[in-house]
Amino acid sequence: MENTNPPILQVENLTKHFGGLAAVRGVSFEVRERQIFGVIGPNGAGKTTLFGMIAGALKPSSGAVRSRGHDITGVRPFKLVKAGIARTHQIVRPFREMTVLENVQVAVHFGRNPVASAVAARERALEVLRSVGIDQLADNPASTLPVGSQKRLEIARALATQPDLLLCDEICGGLTHSETAAMLQLLRRIRDDGMTVMYVEHDVKAIIAVCDRIMVLNYGRKLAEGTPDHIQNDPAVIEAYLGTRTAGRS
Amino acid sequence: MSAFSAILPARWVKKWRSAVLSWALLFALAVVPLLIPSPNFKRLLFTTFLWVTTSIAWNLLGGFAGQVSFGFAVFYGIGAYTTALLMNAGVDPFIAFLASACTAALVSLVVGLPAFRLRGPYFAIATIGISEAVRVVMTNLSFTGGASGYRIVEHRPFSQLEHYYTALLLAAVAFTISWMIAHAKFGVGLSAIRQDEDAAADLGVNPYTHKLAAHALAAALTGMAGGVFARYAAFIHPGGVFGFHTSVQILLMPVIGGIATVWGPVLGGFVFGIVEEEIVATFPQIHLLLYGVLLILIILFEPGGILGGLNRVVRRFRGKH
Repeated sequence: MENTNPPILQVENLTKHFGGLAAVRGVSFEVRERQIFGVIGPNGAGKTTLFGMIAGALKPSSGAVRSRGHDITGVRPFKLVKAGIARTHQIVRPFREMTVLENVQVAVHFGRNPVASAVAARERALEVLRSVGIDQLADNPASTLPVGSQKRLEIARALATQPDLLLCDEICGGLTHSETAAMLQLLRRIRDDGMTVMYVEHDVKAIIAVCDRIMVLNYGRKLAEGTPDHIQNDPAVIEAYLGTRTAGRS
Repeated sequence: MSAFSAILPARWVKKWRSAVLSWALLFALAVVPLLIPSPNFKRLLFTTFLWVTTSIAWNLLGGFAGQVSFGFAVFYGIGAYTTALLMNAGVDPFIAFLASACTAALVSLVVGLPAFRLRGPYFAIATIGISEAVRVVMTNLSFTGGASGYRIVEHRPFSQLEHYYTALLLAAVAFTISWMIAHAKFGVGLSAIRQDEDAAADLGVNPYTHKLAAHALAAALTGMAGGVFARYAAFIHPGGVFGFHTSVQILLMPVIGGIATVWGPVLGGFVFGIVEEEIVATFPQIHLLLYGVLLILIILFEPGGILGGLNRVVRRFRGKH
């Protein structure tokens, strides 16, 4: 079933040079509304650089990023939040002196529809915690959570800004099998609630399992794009991941 | 306390206790000069209130927002000179104090716009540079008397009590602002910036405007303290109000008391205000060295200051590790 919704994110010819090295070269793609769009690639393929440029953490050397017709190339993260785009971090970054609830409260206070009252913010933060399943940890210091819950806190904070587009960077990194499965289920539910997810990951299995559409990066270039089925059978992708088949070993 | 925590959430009890404590303290300080009429005692408390004010002010930026500035002498000095110039031009001193707040806040924007492009230690170093540059300019500015200083002519009869209550009121205003910020959305934003500026920005907090606003508020309060000081001292000079040691003192107090808390800077201001003169009188040559050593010791062994240390002791007594 092909997604025919309008695009929420359009990336055109995005390029990033670090000195003489081109980490991302002329990458273009579209993410459609209510889609889980995956980006995979071997280590050093440029996934994180691409993600950083879209999330406003890195300025592209050239190219453009648009969201619903607005140019958001190089727009600072706190402005992206107001435009309905939120991100999670690969390495979790909770506010360590705050409780879990207070962490989410920051996002409610300053998100897309800012809430001024502390009482109202706490209530909404608690709702979000409930929706990602860590409300029982609300009053714990954020620094004491195990990895699985910290990743959920990352998602909770991003969701609390009320985004339309959620950018997830390696959200399953460091999780066990069952934690990964639960996390992917959460991503599906986020999509079914009407949001769009762009998901960057090097765990191929996770990406194949959850994504509606996948783009493969290799050496900073786009190698392939399509449905999970298509990607799994693309010879170029197989070559990039497994190497070339040689005679006698097939 | 435990009776209350049984029915009320802990944070309400905390708020309530804080409010009672602050009103009791304010009342005691308002009454005490009437009971102890010694001019020296009143003078000591007067300067202490000014130090408490600057201590609270510095903590808004350096504590709540985590932006350590070594440049608060700029605002203290600008405030002092603004009041001095205006009073000599015949302006009412209390209007002059407000003008001091405004000029100091404006200067804070001029300093902050470039300096907040830097982070952490680089920001701190930039503030040292700016502060020293301002001092050199003021030392060579002829219409304020340059290095030889500037004298203020007061037209009203001198009333020590008026000075005393002015300083007390200013400290109370500073405390109220600090308390309100700590319990408001603005304070949440500052705290997020202190803990992880990038993560805060990713949740919609604009670090730049938050820092500029905290800086401007802090500068306004520091500038007013400078103005109140100038009126009392009747003579100011760049080496004093703009001196690097002034910046260090303003930074030292909240660190002593407990950074990023509401009460820490108050405590630090009182301790410092009362001890400072004794230290300067006893060790006139090396008192700055002592401040430096004290700063290093606190940061190494008790970064939470007196308040942090007390909290630790209380926790240990209650048996929570």
